[in-house]
Parts: sequence; C-alpha cells; structure tokens
Amino acid sequence: MPHTKTYKLPYIALTLVLFLCFFANISLGSVSIPFQDIFNGLIGSSTANESWQHIIHEYRLPKAFTAIIVGSGLGVSGLLMQTLFRNPLAGPFVLGITSGSSLGVALVIMGASFFGGAFAGILVSKWSIVIAASLGSFTVLLFVLVISNKVRDTMAILIIGLMFGSITTATVSVLSYFSSAEELQQYIFWGFGSIGNLTWDELFVFFIIYSIGILMSLTSIKALNTLLLGENYAKSLGLNIKTSRLLIIIATSLLAGTITAFAGPIVFIGLAIPHMTRQIFNTSNHKVLLPAVFLFGAIVMLICDSIAQLPSSDLTLPINAITSLIGAPVIIWLLVRKRKMIF
Amino acid sequence: MRFLTFLIICSTLLSSCKEEKKEATISINKPEAIKETISYAKGFSISNHKGYKKLVVNSAWPNSNKTFTYLLVNKGEKRPEHDANAKIIEIPIKTLVAVSTTNIPTLEYLGVDNSLIGFPNTKYICAEKTRARVDNGDIKELGNDLELNIELLLELKPDLVLGFSVNGINKKLDQIEKLGIPVALDGAWTEQHPLGRAEWIKFIAAFYNKEEKADSIFKAIETNYLKAKEVAKTTAKKPIVMSGSSFKDVWNVPGGKSFIAKYFEDANADYLWKDNNNNGSLQLNFENVLEKAQNAEFWVGSGNFDSKKEMLNEHKGYAFFNAYKNNHVYTYTKRKGAKGGLLYYELGTLRPDLILKDLIKIVHPELLNDYETFFFKRLE
Repeated sequence: MPHTKTYKLPYIALTLVLFLCFFANISLGSVSIPFQDIFNGLIGSSTANESWQHIIHEYRLPKAFTAIIVGSGLGVSGLLMQTLFRNPLAGPFVLGITSGSSLGVALVIMGASFFGGAFAGILVSKWSIVIAASLGSFTVLLFVLVISNKVRDTMAILIIGLMFGSITTATVSVLSYFSSAEELQQYIFWGFGSIGNLTWDELFVFFIIYSIGILMSLTSIKALNTLLLGENYAKSLGLNIKTSRLLIIIATSLLAGTITAFAGPIVFIGLAIPHMTRQIFNTSNHKVLLPAVFLFGAIVMLICDSIAQLPSSDLTLPINAITSLIGAPVIIWLLVRKRKMIF
Repeated sequence: MRFLTFLIICSTLLSSCKEEKKEATISINKPEAIKETISYAKGFSISNHKGYKKLVVNSAWPNSNKTFTYLLVNKGEKRPEHDANAKIIEIPIKTLVAVSTTNIPTLEYLGVDNSLIGFPNTKYICAEKTRARVDNGDIKELGNDLELNIELLLELKPDLVLGFSVNGINKKLDQIEKLGIPVALDGAWTEQHPLGRAEWIKFIAAFYNKEEKADSIFKAIETNYLKAKEVAKTTAKKPIVMSGSSFKDVWNVPGGKSFIAKYFEDANADYLWKDNNNNGSLQLNFENVLEKAQNAEFWVGSGNFDSKKEMLNEHKGYAFFNAYKNNHVYTYTKRKGAKGGLLYYELGTLRPDLILKDLIKIVHPELLNDYETFFFKRLE
C-alpha cells in the first residue's frame, strides 16, 4: 500500500477546491449580491442592502455548512458500507436506515389520515420530523444489530436491509393511499431532500451527532483495511470482527440516520462519492480514501447545491434531482475512461 | 361577464359599509370602539386591551391542541409585557406575503390588496385585480407554498407572512419566523360552519386595523346567507343529495359534521351521510357509495370535472348513478381564473352566501327563479 505522504498534493488541491466551492456557494443564489457585499456580509460589516446580511448569515451560511456535513457524512458512510459488505453497490440506503427514517416521517405526516385524529395531536413541534426520522433509523439499526449478532454472513444482513426497505415502501404506499393531497405533497417534498431548512441551533445539534459518527469512522480505519482482505483473513490477523462490525454499523447509522433526519433522504452521494474518489486516487487504502472521500463529498454537495439554487432565478430545484443528474454521468464517464471499477 | 358580476357583488357589499371613513378614528387606546364579537368562528378570538389587541388562534389545523397568541401593537406604542409564547406583531402592517388563494378575496374586499407583495404559485390566483398586479410584477413569485424561496422572502422582508399548516409540521414557516419575519397562522379552513370560515376576515382585518370594515362586510354576507336559508325552509321537499367522487378506488365523501354537510342542511337537502360524525372527509369504496347513493336525486360537488364525459373517463362506474343518468350532476367548475385556477377555491371561503344560494338553486330551483348559480354548473 502506498504511503499517505504521496497524496499530500491532491489533499492540498482538494482543500483549496473545497474553500473555493464554499465561497462560490455563498455568492450564488436567487438574489444576486455583489461580491464586495458578500465579503462584507461574511466578516460582519454592513452590506449595501440590510436584507443581504440576513440572507448571507441566516440562510446561505447555514446552508453551505449543511452541504459540507451532508456531503462528507454520506460519502464516509457509503465508504464504510461498501467495505464492510464488500459490495460496490452498498450505501447508506442499503442497510434500510433511510427507509426507517422515511417510515417515521411518513407516520408523522400522513398518520393522522390513516389512524384518525388521535394521531394528529402527538409529535407536533418543529423537531417532530427530525425525531421521527431518527427514531425510525434507530429502530432499524437495533434490528440490524440484533440480526448481525445472529447472522454471520454480511451478505445476509445486506439482503435483510433491502427487504426492510421494501416493507417500508409498502407501508408508506398504504399510508399515502389514504392521505390528503396536502399531506402527500408534504411527504413528497420531504423526499426531495432539502439542505436549506436548518437554523443555527439545529445545525449545532446536527454537527455534534455527525462529529461522533466521523470520529468513530476514523477509529475504524485499520479494521476497514483488514476487512478488505475478507472476514476470515481478518480474523486470522487477530481482528475482532464482531466489535469492528458493530462499530462500523453504528458509525454509518449515526451519519446516515441524522443526515436523513435533518436534510431528508439525499440520494446518490453515499453510493457514488467513494467510487469517484477511488477512481481519482487509485487506491483502496482507507487511510488515504477516508479523508479524500470526506473532502470530495463536501465539494460535490456544495456544487450540487449551487446548481440547485439556479443562480439569479426565482426557482430552486430539489437537491436530489441535481445530485443524481450531475453525479451519475460523472461516474459513468470515469468508469468508461478507466475501463474498470477499483474496489 | 365575470368581472361585471364581481363588480356587482363588491358594490352590494360596499354599499352596506359606508362608514369606511370612520376608520381613521379607530384607536387602539379606545377599546370600546372595536367590536370583539365573533359569532360563528370557533378557531380564533380577538380581545382588546390597553395599548394592544390580543389574537388567539386555537385551531390552526384539525385537532390541534396548540394555541397561538399574537399581540398586535400599534407602531410606535409600548410593547406590553408578555409570556414567551406570545408573538408581538406591529400593526397596521404595510406589506404581506400570503400563501393561500383564499386570502386574496379577503384582502381585496378589505381594500388592502396593495399590501400583498409576494405569493407562491401565483398562477393559481383568479381575482382579476390581484392577477393584474401579478402580471405587472408587483407581486413576487415565491415558488411553492411548502418550499417558499427564503432568499427572495428575506429580500422582500414583509411585515407579516400569513401561512397555514396542515398538521403543525411546517419547517419553512418555523424557519421564516426564526429569521425575524412574523408568521400568523390562518385556520379558517378548519371551521365547521360556512359562516365561521368567512368570519376569519375579522382575523386578517385586525392586522390592518380594519375591524369595522370587516364587520360590515361579514354582516352583509351573514344576512345574505341567513336570508337564503330562510327561503330554503319554505319548501317541504327535501331532495336526497350525494357528494364527492372516486379517486383510484377511494371515494372521498364529506363527513356528516363537515362544513359541506352544513351547507346541504341549510339548503334544506337530505344529505346521505348527514348522520355520520366525521368533520373531515370519509374514505369509502365504490361499492359502498353505489349501494347507498344509487338513487340519490342530486350529485353535488363531484370534483374538478368539466363534463360528464370527463367523469366517465375517470371511472366507468359513475354511469350507474341515477343522478348521473338524469343529468343532475353539479360541480363548482363554472368560473376559472386566467391561468386555470378555480374561483370556488379562492372566493368560496369568504362567500358562503353565494355557495348556499347555488345549492338552493340546484336542489330547489323553483325557490330562486331569477338567480343564476355563481360557482356551480350542471355537467353536460
């Protein structure tokens, strides 16, 4: 495995690009603000138009930070899943974590229509969606943990996760069948994903949980590299498979679960960012990959959000449409160029 | 023709509220000058206090157990002491962002439609005066009502955002409030009595110090409604009425305690689901409805259809109903806005008197000889 030092330059380049994307993201939006005012707004001095300061501070900055958290967090959780299950198609969705969140949210938004008025009284605060989504993903996590204790085969866990996704989809269908147009619209809009909805205090809570997930991922780097060689081989190297697996599953769930809770189910990033990074860095060493995936995820998410805002137009597009529309062709192009998947 | 009708209605209403000029003398310091009577609406209350008005909304969405308190303080006056949950709003507001088309006729009737500076999905707006302001660019398009464009909203910085919530979950409105723009929730649509819905004009008027005007507009609507109700009572006939339509196997029928059922009652019609206790809508299956309603005389409010043929394309089973066979299907698609929005959805909340008269004309045509339905038409 090549030594980390070799990658100093790409890291510096990626960090620079990240800063660039961050500033571009803050500069672009429905309201066009001159660059000088963007700068003034950022350093806290007065802008030509008072509302611009508000737009920059209370809307664009939290949105940009959310993009960084979402992109890096989903990328890392995707990488963890792909290595753990040794399956290039694995991502945060596969464990059923996102499905669990969706079910929680569907119950809160559309439950009243199905179960009657009694359901409407509970859980209505601004945190209700976040709490429901977290409870949903947490339930699935517990379920997966219990199963992973009983079932030794990681493939089996993967399939169970997929099956749970199907059950969720079916339940959501039943709920939506009996829901009003407004409730359906609300649920569908949640499904589009949104990173511009968070205020600073929500972002704070979000950041803390995300940091725990990232720290846990960092401590798993060695285990991840060993796992790549196969579970039996890892065992012969003295790795405690059960503990490592548990740690990795919890880290993924924390990352993917909170991100889904706060920003909705953001598609594509978790699956694609690790592949994009592997193609560019040409390695499977997690010491190199993990920080790179982190930076790359954040960059891609910032770019996607800048496009979704459709600069200088009144419209904003759903972030999920952009992540797939922009990301998928890039992956195809990379694979065609390199002619094989690095995994 | 539509504009003419609109003018006629407006002038009838305004002729009954000539004391418009008195508005200037309304002072918040003289509480006795403002009426606090809410007769039909159950979802909100207004009370006058020294130096401020207190608006309490206790039914912002169905079965809500949360109350919202808004303290309306005249600009420049001292803010009253208040608990953390009450929100202070400076009045009279000069600029407004609304999200529901039902607010637009209210603003026009109150003569404050010029304050509307932003609206999501402006294409649904029917009212011609406001439509013209949209076309002029005086009203900014803000995207979708669930995903209001926050940047544009922050730039507009309206004095108030008049929102609504389906179930108390509305992150966008919470966010707007956090960003320092006051939000008030309109719960008119949760009222069970048609006049209760219209009475929310007093809620909106409070933000503009236009209570007296709202009061007289509402009185005119109420008088009109009650008069029509009396006329309907003069006949002994009680035709059987069905309602709703099927969408993908689920037939949505107004519940027996819903405001639609109230309309049928006041129109002296025998609504098939009147004994039901639901105040929203019922989800029934086709067989269920067919068995009960096959012989109903009238089918009123069958959805957004424009013709019987269109209905049949949606569901072949509609043809089994007697009301369908006998050409007695009526629905509220008579008037549409320039971009296809239905006027019924926009103006219906404020003008229950017109809806009631339409229904009476449909089920007892002999009672209102020279009246022509306003919202409803017979499907051919």
